[in-house]
Order: sequence, then structure tokens, then C-alpha cells
Amino acid sequence: MSHNPETLLKVEHLCQYFGFNRAVDDVSFEIKKGEVFGLVGESGCGKTTTGRSIIKLYDITSGNIYYKGIRISAGLRSYYQDIADAKKEYKEKVALAKSPEQAAELKRHMEEIVADRKQQIALAKSDLKNCDKEYSKKLVAEVKAKYEPLLANATDEIKKEYRNELRKAKNAKVVGQIQMIFQDSGSALDPRMTVREIISEGLIIRGERDKKVIDQKVYEMLEMVGLVREHASRYPHEFSGGQRQRIGIARAIIMNPELIIADEPVSALDVSIQAQVINLMNDLRRNLGLTILFVAHDLSVVKYFSDRIGVMYFGKLVELATSEELFKNPLHPYTRSLLSAIPLPDPIYEKNRKRIAYEPLVEHDYSVDKPSLREISPGHFVQCNDAEFEKYQKMLK
Amino acid sequence: MENKLHVKNLTISFRTSNGKVQAVRGIDFDLAKGETLAIVGESGSGKSVTSKAVLGILAGNSIVEGGEIIYDGKDLLKIPEDEFHKIRGDKIAMIFQDPMSSLNPIVKIGRQLTEAMILKGKARQRESRLTFNAYLKALNDRMVQGIAKGDASVAGALTKKCKDFDAFEYKHLALEGAYNVAFSAASEAITEIDSVLFEIEKKVLSDAAYRMKNIKSLSLNSINDWVVCAKADQLKECAERLPAEAKTARKTGDYTETVAILNTLKAILSEAVTFTQPNFFAMGYYLTFCPEKKLPTMPSVEELNAYLRKYLDDNFMLAFIADAKNALAYSADLFYKELLEAIAFLKQNRTVFEASALNKRTVLGAYKAMAKEVIETIDPLNTVKDSLVYTFGTGLHTEIEKYFGGIVKNEAETKRYAKQKAKYDRIVAKGKTPNGEVVPASLTDLELVRQNMLHQIDRLIAHFEELIAARNTRDYEAETIALIDFLKANASGVVNKVTKRIAKARALKLMDEVGISEPRKRYNQYPFEFSGGMLQRIVIAIALAADPDILICDEPTTALDVTIQARILELINNLKRERQLSIIFITHDLGVVANMADRIAVMYAGKIVEYGTAEDIFYHSAHPYTWALLSSMPDLDTNEKLDAIPGTPPNMIYPPVGDAFAARNKYAMQIDFERQPPMFKISDTHYAATWLLHPDAPKIDPPKTILDRIARMKERRGDTHES
Repeated sequence: MSHNPETLLKVEHLCQYFGFNRAVDDVSFEIKKGEVFGLVGESGCGKTTTGRSIIKLYDITSGNIYYKGIRISAGLRSYYQDIADAKKEYKEKVALAKSPEQAAELKRHMEEIVADRKQQIALAKSDLKNCDKEYSKKLVAEVKAKYEPLLANATDEIKKEYRNELRKAKNAKVVGQIQMIFQDSGSALDPRMTVREIISEGLIIRGERDKKVIDQKVYEMLEMVGLVREHASRYPHEFSGGQRQRIGIARAIIMNPELIIADEPVSALDVSIQAQVINLMNDLRRNLGLTILFVAHDLSVVKYFSDRIGVMYFGKLVELATSEELFKNPLHPYTRSLLSAIPLPDPIYEKNRKRIAYEPLVEHDYSVDKPSLREISPGHFVQCNDAEFEKYQKMLK
Repeated sequence: MENKLHVKNLTISFRTSNGKVQAVRGIDFDLAKGETLAIVGESGSGKSVTSKAVLGILAGNSIVEGGEIIYDGKDLLKIPEDEFHKIRGDKIAMIFQDPMSSLNPIVKIGRQLTEAMILKGKARQRESRLTFNAYLKALNDRMVQGIAKGDASVAGALTKKCKDFDAFEYKHLALEGAYNVAFSAASEAITEIDSVLFEIEKKVLSDAAYRMKNIKSLSLNSINDWVVCAKADQLKECAERLPAEAKTARKTGDYTETVAILNTLKAILSEAVTFTQPNFFAMGYYLTFCPEKKLPTMPSVEELNAYLRKYLDDNFMLAFIADAKNALAYSADLFYKELLEAIAFLKQNRTVFEASALNKRTVLGAYKAMAKEVIETIDPLNTVKDSLVYTFGTGLHTEIEKYFGGIVKNEAETKRYAKQKAKYDRIVAKGKTPNGEVVPASLTDLELVRQNMLHQIDRLIAHFEELIAARNTRDYEAETIALIDFLKANASGVVNKVTKRIAKARALKLMDEVGISEPRKRYNQYPFEFSGGMLQRIVIAIALAADPDILICDEPTTALDVTIQARILELINNLKRERQLSIIFITHDLGVVANMADRIAVMYAGKIVEYGTAEDIFYHSAHPYTWALLSSMPDLDTNEKLDAIPGTPPNMIYPPVGDAFAARNKYAMQIDFERQPPMFKISDTHYAATWLLHPDAPKIDPPKTILDRIARMKERRGDTHES
């Protein structure tokens, strides 16, 4: 468990719609510094989309994402949609309006909405524009503070280094602090780049130009993930799946990130290799103090690796608790169905296992009372309505 | 238990630019009917290669070095591609690991699902027709030969009987087919009505127009003399009214009338599906041959059945069974006579192979005569094929080719060796050090090959003698019934035609079974519109659509999430139970193996290192590699660091001399690096190849993680039993 209460990432009412497909629908959670947050659910439930939205691979539909208190992502599409809807509604209603007063009232109402949303958009836009600026300003200040005393009687070398660092600080982006590890390491690595080029690509984009520094860092990373220096000049196809995944990890950690989004990093690997990669990630997490958002569907691995777990079902977060608590007291029927499906290496148990089926329409009656994510016991959230809230609280006692 | 598949000493290599990779190095296993054999191992251990060899889809650079895979009396490694077409996909189907590469990207999912069904429907129809005709003709021949003994009038009567059987069997199937259609329509309509009622109650009814029409057509289809009969008019009236009613209800939002109609329909249908099924076999005879051609009126179906049965037995069946039994006995007499002749012939020709140096012409002559003689022993009325008899010819021929090919090859090798050695010696004599060594001549052991031939002949003779010894234990009564059932089954294959409509309905049902929501919409989509998990389910549906004998699953659920995985495994398990399916299940997920497997083979570097029932492997595993596999996966209670297996599997171009796992094995002893361990027997079902089981080896317990886990599992099971 993490003892550091600082919130690193905060996701607020995140929605990601692809046309009519609500891939992620009103998801909120926080990740504390130094913890591993597991996200599980069946394929197509939106867990990967959540991860990708955080790292800004998609523009989110609505909601906010804060990283260390800085808003890095805000959904604008829902605001635009609101404006369009309000205008359309006004047009429809004004045609049926009985008196000029009523029409004026409708217009005022519409304009109010439009003005409000426009203000929101402006706010979000300025936040998005300034988040990187603020961050780089902070870094520039740090660099300056470090080099200013030295500059008075500095050699050319130090001046060069200072210019180098300053440039890097000016180019820095907040999202650079978040890195991603992909599921399919085969297609995530460019087949025409050597391992050295792959691993150092991020550094170069960030502004590092010193070949020596780059090489040094690449070797360091290779050794950290259990490969050797000689591997740097090879191409991805010369490696096995497990080794390729290690390269993917090296590429992520060379950027010195604080948060890693690991999207099913071990699903495509063999058991024995899986254990090697999990052990490696565990070591890195301990040594580098990483925070990890771990997206996976293998519950045994998630349980082993995560401090807290969120369960997603069709774009909604249905349950959120510490991993011990979730496996001990699963409350939401979907979580229970999910846990009942985990295969265990025990033939007698397996042959008598009863899988619990989950039928949302049978389990819940949300026709009147709409559900929301509520805290049943400290740190244990479940998606439920009033009646279910009471039921769950009784179950915990 | 009946063995479906026999794999013996299978050895497969791959030619690559770096050398010959030995992928599979002599593995043996067999697969019983209705059993699941799991093959577990890391990638590169040869498990997929084994399964591909069974299906005959090895890559082009593969070399099958030896061994045999016997299915249905045929050695799958030796039969021609034309013959394999009849087996692949139809009898032996496979679910592949990567769904994207096993689906055609430019053909709609629906077509890919129904394609095989329609093609196979046609092929099976033809095949059944041929089998049915062949066996009926053989039966007729044997009847005429055995009973009539040249009397033309008796022979004519017997032939007529066979023709009658043919005729009324077709009537039977037509009746039963119509009944089945109606019955399944009724049961389907009931489930559909239930789900519609449920959705109306929850106010989430979707796709209403289509479903109402569907219920209407299903209800109308369920009208049959034996399903919905008395209340057919009421049913018809209700069903006709339903779509229009539902349409108005959708506009007004008032579903009371629709619900009332649905309930009436459901009541009629639910009553109908409880009626007793008449005996269509007897009815077919009655309707075909009874002078009135009309069923007598009876108070209940049971009485009607009894009456029809008696009529059939009295007029035809008992006499036919007696004749068939006589024919079988006669055929068996002939068979044993042929066997004796064959044994004598084999023994006589065996001498040809005993000579120390074989003469090609005589040997080939003897081989041809023997193969012919052996094939002649086949009893045309025997429905179970004898694998030894069918594979004798090809097996012997391979050995003969090996022998005479070996002579030529040995000569060339000896020459090459002598030449290179002379050169080497010359260089040494000059006092220089030659770079490299002379590769020793690789010679075929001709004597061994010759012994193999003799062994094959001896084995067949012994087999024939066994058959003769078992002659008195044969039960002709039971065999006759089995033969008639076999004929009935093949006849039904002829009648059950698969049309496009049937195929589509079946495909939609399968898609629903494997957990694809909105199958009707999905049916018309292309593969790229599906997610990986969805595609995998489509592939599984395609494999299951073929209704195979043996199903090979190559990591079918590795890419799926747990809930779907559990559903798919349940689906496969249900099918296995229903259809007595034999399954080869390849995976590295031991949790899945525990669920599926009856027996487990653990493979490493092309060899089976441990072999036993699921309980043997999980509770009493003996091989260090099995231990390593078991302890490298986390379970729900694991907190400590995982025991990853260090290193990577060995390079199989140069396989290690000793135990292949020795280099990664922390329990390895000196001998592990020097000699390969044999299979040690632990119990009747449990074998393992590790020197640790040798009486002289030190006693080593499995790692603590595994023992702990077993204890925990015991505890958990104890808990579940109590609750």
C-alpha cells in the first residue's frame, strides 16, 4: 500500500464517445503517487480507451483529467454539443411560442447556456494551452537556479550543458511525464529502427542532442530491464516476445516518467516470460518509485500486482476498492461474476466451479432510481442506486 | 475406452537457413473418445507443431522424419492430400490462436460462417449416400451368398427386403425431419417469447418488428401433426395478428394486448412440446407398406407407438434382423477363413525378408502380394475400421523404400567420408593443423530397418491370431443392431440437407452461443469491424459449426478476458459431453488446463517430459519443468516474488545431449547434462522423464510455493464442501 497521500492523477467524469458508441461513460477515479492501480473488465469495456485518453491519444468528449493538479485534458466536444443543442431547441420552440415575451424568455435562456458553455470552453482552452507553459516555466526556473551560480566562471562545456538543459526545459510537456507500455510489443516497435534508435527516440524529441549522453542512458536502461549493451544495435525482429516487451519498457522509463500506463503488458507472453516481465516491472516500480495504471484482464496477475483495482463494465466503472477488499468482499454482481470466472490451477475445484452469470437487466432495476458511484465503506466504491446502496452496506456488516 | 487418435514416435524437423531445427523429437500419446488431452509447454516446445501435424498443415519447410498418426485406420502422415480434404475441418477441426490470420478480411463474417456448413452439408450428403449404399449392398450380397446359396427366388426376396428397408427408411427420415423442424421451432419460439416478454416488462424492447415477425414464423413453423395439431387454428390466428398488434402497441405504448397474445402463444407451444414423440421408424414402415396408407386412430401416442412397433416387427423387422444376423455370421466365417489364409501367406512371405541381403525385385513382389492379401481380409460389414490392416501396406512400403534408399545413401556417404578423411590425413601428415574436422559418415542401419519390416509383419500376424482367438466372444445380435443403427445414421445424413437458410439460422444460433451480442447485425459485418475477442469467438463458432470428431484448440482463449474465456470453455466442455468430442487442448495457462483436461502432457524442447491425469500433474507433479511452470504463475494468494524460469529454451538446431531442461533447472545433476532420462513410471497413468525419479537419485521435494498452493487449494475445497 502507498503511504504517500499525494494524488498524482485525477480523472473526473471522463466520457469518450465514438459516434453512438459510449466507450467510456462518466468514469472518475484518482491514482495516488507510488501505487499500482489496476483496471479490469472484459474486452470492449473501455479500459484501454481510458488509458489512451489519459495519455491524450484521443481527444476526450467531456470530463477533465488532472495531473498533479494541472488540468491536462478537458472535453470540449460536450460543450460544443450543448451549444448546438440549445440553439436547435430554441429554434424549435420559438416557432411554437405563443407570445413575444415567451419568445424573448426562450432566447434569453438559450443565450445564457451558450455564454456559459463558451466561457467553459475558453477556460479549458487556456488551461490546456498554459499547462505545458507553466510546467516548462517551472523547469526553466529550476535549471536556471542550478546553473546561475556556476555560470560566472564557467567553461564552454558547462555553458553548452546549460544551453542544452535550458532548451530541454523549454520544450518540456506535462504529458511527457506519463508513458505507455503497449500490449503487442511486436507492432509497437518500428521494425526499421535499431533498439538504440527506438529507446532514444523520446530523448531526442525532448531535445537531447549529446550522443554520449544518449548512449549512456540507453545502455543504462538496457541493463536495467535485463538486456545487454550489445542488443542496442540490433533490430526488433531479432528478439523474442519477452525481450521485445523489455525494450518497450526501456523506451518508457528512459523518459524518467512518474506515471506509466501499462496496457496489457504481459497478456501476449508465455507463462515463464510473463513471470520475468512482472518481476521486472515490480523491481522497477520499487527502485524508481513509479506509479502504474495497469490495464489487464488476467485477474490473478492484476491481484498480484495492484494496490487498488477498478472494475469496468460497458464504459462504466462499477466497483473500485483495494485489491484485498475487492477479492474478499466483491459487491457489484458483475464483479462477483468476474471473480467466479477466474481459472485456478486446481482440477478438482475447477470441475465443480459454478460460474455466476451477470444479466444487468435482471440484476438491477434502474427504471426509476438512477445509479451512481457511491462509497459503501471507506475506499470501497460501487455503482448503485439507493436500494442497492442499503443492500450492499448490509452485506458488508 | 475407444481410442480415436494414436500418435507414435512422431519426429518432425524444420529446414532453416541456419540448419535443421528439431521441433518434435519422438513423442507418443493417444486420445480416447470423449477425452480432453491438454498439451502444456512454452512457445517453441513443439506443441503447436504436433497439432499441426495431426491436421496435416505443417509449414512447407517441415520434414516428417518418422512416426505415425493413426486416425480411423489411416496414417495421417502418409495419406494423399485428396484424402486429407475429407478429414480436415470435417472430422478434425482446429481453433487457431490468432483469429485475424485465420479469417478472410474481404468476406463478410456471415458468409465465412456458413460457407463451410453448406459445402460440408453437400459433401456429407454425398459421403453418407455412398456409405449407405455400399453397406446396404454389401449386406444384400452377403445375405444372398449366405442364405440363398444360389436359389434365385430366395435371393430375389432378400434383395426386395433390402430395397424395402431403403424405401421406408427414407419415409421415416422425412417424417422425423419434419417433426424436428417443428419441435425446434416451437422450443425456439418459447425462448424468444420469454425474452420479449421480459424486455417488455423492463421497457427495453429492441428490434421489435423483426422479432415479432420471427415469433410469427417460428409459431407457424411449429404446426405439425405431432407438435401443434389440435390448436393449430388458434395458434395461426394469434400469430397472424401479432406483428400488426405490436406495431400499434409501439405507437401507443400500451403493450397489454401484445402481452396477452404472446401468453396465449406460449401456452399453446409449451403444451405442444410436452407431447410424446411417436416412433417414426415404425410409422415410416406402416405408411409405406400398409395397404390403407393411413394411420389408425388411437387414444394416445404410446398406444400408437406400441401398435406400430408390433406391426413393423411382425411384418418386417424381426425377419430382417434374423437375415442380417445370418449374413453377418456368414460374412464373419468368410472373414476368419481369409484371416487364416492371410496368416499362412504372411508367414510364407516372411522368409523373403529374413535373408541377410534383400533382393529388391523379390521384396517388392512379396510386398505387393502381401498387401493385396491383407486388404482382402477386410470384412465389408464391419463398421469399425482396423487401423493395423489399413496401414500395413503403406507402413511396410516406407520401410522398404528406406532400406533400398539407405543402400544408395550409405554408399555415397562412405565414399564421401573416405575422400575427406584421406584429405585430412594428408594435411596431418604434412605436419599442418587442418581447420575443421571430418563429419563422420551418417549411415542408415539396414539391419534395423529389416528388423522393423519383420516386426511389422509379425505384429500383424499376432493381431490376426488375436482376432481369431476372440472369435467365440463375438455377439452377432448386438453387431446386427449396431449395423442397422449405422445404416440409419448414414441415411439421416443423406436427408438432412443444409440450405442457405438453415445455415444462416444455425450460424446466428452459434454466434449467440459463443456470446456475440446482436448476431443479426454482426452477421453482415467484416472481420475488421470486430475486436480481437469477438473475432476469436467467430473462429470458435466456425470450428464448432463443422461438428467435428476431434477438435484441436491451439491457445483458443489466450487473448480473451476471463468471463468470455469461462463461457467458451463451458461451451467446449458441453459440446464435448454432448457429442463425445475428443479434444486436444494446447495452452500455457494452467488454470485453463485444470478446467479442461482429463489428461495432461507437458512438453519441453520437442519431448513429452511428463504425462498423467490432471490430478497427477497438479497434485503430484514430478518433473522440475512442471514445477517451474506451476510456480511461475501467480494465483490469487501469491504475494512473494514469482519464480520465473531463468534463461530461454535451448536452440533446437543443436539439441542438448542430456536432459534439454538441465541448463535452466536448479535441481539438475551431473547425469542430466550427459544422458537423456527415460520415461519413469510413477503410477499406471503417470509418467515423467527426469533422473530425479531414478532409485539412486537424491530425494527432492517439489518447491515450497507448489506445496503451499496445494495445501491452500485443499483448504479452499474443504471450505466449499462445508458451505
